[in-house]
Amino acid sequence: MRFEVEIGGRVRQVNLQRANGRFTATVDGRERRVDAVRVDAHIWSLLVEHESGRSIFSYEVSIIPEPAADRFAAHVGPVPVTVCLDGRRRWGRKAQSGQPTVGPQRVVAPMSGKVVRILVQIGEAVHARQPIVVIEAMKMENELRATHDGTVAEIRVRDGQSVDAGALLVVMV
Amino acid sequence: MAIDKVLVANRGEIAVRVIRACREMDLSTVAVYSECDRAALHVRYADEAYAIGPNAPQDSYLRIDRIVDAALRAGADAVHPGYGFLAENENFAAAVVDAGLTFIGPTPRAVALMGSKTAARAAAARAGLAVVPGTETALAAAASGAEMAHVAASIGYPLLVKAVAGGGGKGMRTVNDPADLAGAVRAARSEAGTAFGDPAVYLERRLTRPRHIEVQLLADEHGTVVPFVERECSIQRRHQKVVEETPSGAVPAALRQKLAAQAASVAREVGYTNAGTVEFLLDEDGRSYFLEMNTRLQVEHAITEMVTGVDLVRWQIRIARGERLDLDAGRMLSPAGHAIECRIYAEDPDNGFQPSPGTIDQLRAASGPGIRDDSGATAGLDVPIFYDPLISKLIAWAEDRPLAMARMRRALREYRVGGIKTTLPLFTWLLAQPDFLAGRFHTSYLDEVVAGREGRPFVEPPAALEEIAAMSVALQTVLTPAAARDVGLGTRRWKAQARTESLRGEIMGSRGA
Repeated sequence: MRFEVEIGGRVRQVNLQRANGRFTATVDGRERRVDAVRVDAHIWSLLVEHESGRSIFSYEVSIIPEPAADRFAAHVGPVPVTVCLDGRRRWGRKAQSGQPTVGPQRVVAPMSGKVVRILVQIGEAVHARQPIVVIEAMKMENELRATHDGTVAEIRVRDGQSVDAGALLVVMV
Repeated sequence: MAIDKVLVANRGEIAVRVIRACREMDLSTVAVYSECDRAALHVRYADEAYAIGPNAPQDSYLRIDRIVDAALRAGADAVHPGYGFLAENENFAAAVVDAGLTFIGPTPRAVALMGSKTAARAAAARAGLAVVPGTETALAAAASGAEMAHVAASIGYPLLVKAVAGGGGKGMRTVNDPADLAGAVRAARSEAGTAFGDPAVYLERRLTRPRHIEVQLLADEHGTVVPFVERECSIQRRHQKVVEETPSGAVPAALRQKLAAQAASVAREVGYTNAGTVEFLLDEDGRSYFLEMNTRLQVEHAITEMVTGVDLVRWQIRIARGERLDLDAGRMLSPAGHAIECRIYAEDPDNGFQPSPGTIDQLRAASGPGIRDDSGATAGLDVPIFYDPLISKLIAWAEDRPLAMARMRRALREYRVGGIKTTLPLFTWLLAQPDFLAGRFHTSYLDEVVAGREGRPFVEPPAALEEIAAMSVALQTVLTPAAARDVGLGTRRWKAQARTESLRGEIMGSRGA
């Protein structure tokens, strides 16, 4: 069984072979014997032999699928690791750093919540970092700001409206 | 006053905490709940439970009439407000008393007086305490931008815009640049109006690099006031405490005595009863200033319990019954060991601390020696978007500070929450920071170091653990293909199915061998 597993933007080749009730796992060419026991719906106990065959390391791994984001939220011990199977793209955090600094910009709700206030009007010129919309979630108000200068072209919501994460709020050109 | 049945006018971990104290005192307990909290832990732990309305706080947990009705219907004789919601609302305390019930907390008069930050500052000044420089009254609602700017300039920048009725960091904004003043006042007023029903704000100088030190106290109805060893609450994010410890490394014995005496004198000045906390700021030269008084049980009360052995909630109920405090006051200022608390929030620390509501798929709290987990969450529950995102308080106690830190690190390794993001990685990172471990920090420390990380994840997996994660997900796909089908759509599902078929052959083959 071959898998392509993507973690942190890097694709790793995993090959699993079953023999005598145990697995041999090869990750990027490193081959180790693994004993895997499922504890409950999410927790696995892994015993992984060192290549030398002398030491056996114990890992508690929890794996929770995130179907909406098309990935798995895993913990190896306390360490969180986000895993995509077979090269599936993860998206979300990466997209933000790549925002353009010219051209149209879309202000979207980063989380579900309530629109407290819209601070701009259609046709209004806005400058970079100007607050555009105030959204409230979990009792904290968060200002969503313009990433760069522009003009308000569309306002898709009104004060007091509840919105889901990812909802388009304001478009600027 | 006899108390046999207590209504807990709150939700989450604090409602559970109060119910536990009642249970230990053989008191009956009554829960109230909003729609989304129907199956919450506090409802399940209580003897009786009553619906008080829809999810929005103003329609349920802030509805004084419905909560008092529930108390009367249940035949409760006392109401515990917890913290947040109506805990510092004098109208609620008064409504409880007017209904012939006992309010487990201070008198409505004391709540009103100290609930106004401006009146509290005046009371502290009368008791002889230094207060942080600021406006003596609230900013007029109709104040023009120019008027506000004039007042602000007389106080000096940087300054804080603070809700007169505030608490918990809500309705508060820092202003470094005069150009941001109007926006900060507008935001703070709006947030304060939503959170406390009172949009009034005032201005206060922002001290540079202060520490937040507070003194818990208990006061009975017979004039006895007992202050406790200080709590250090300087690890804050956007003015919200996230880590607290006791005792403070910045408070020598003489200052401890002084702060305790000052806290007690503020309590006496206003005829305070029940549990309360006097908050101080400590500047870089060790000068202390009165900040405010919280007329309720604090979130972080548990660390005081750990180093003194006193059950503060139990004492709240005993004081409300009219009993006399008989604690050894000297011992309350001599902590046994050291305690630290991490507030586990449903927030994603690696994504700007955005709220992370949703279903908790998996929850395993840490346990073992010296560990206390005060939680209102269980697996299967949703963390609703309507309320404070605190899901648990993880507390570690040990003989001294280094041992308490080691114990907390051990507990953080054990704690597992799946399905939502939590602030656990932040704490794992913080408890490895040399400045934090050496006690070198102030109230802006965390915001500064977080900003300096520029969004890098707090816990970055080493390559070896990434390999383990990679093989684990692959193994799960092989051993329980259904899990893989949950993730992936369309053709991917079809591919997963194909993989399952081929796997079946493989397993059959190995069985046959």
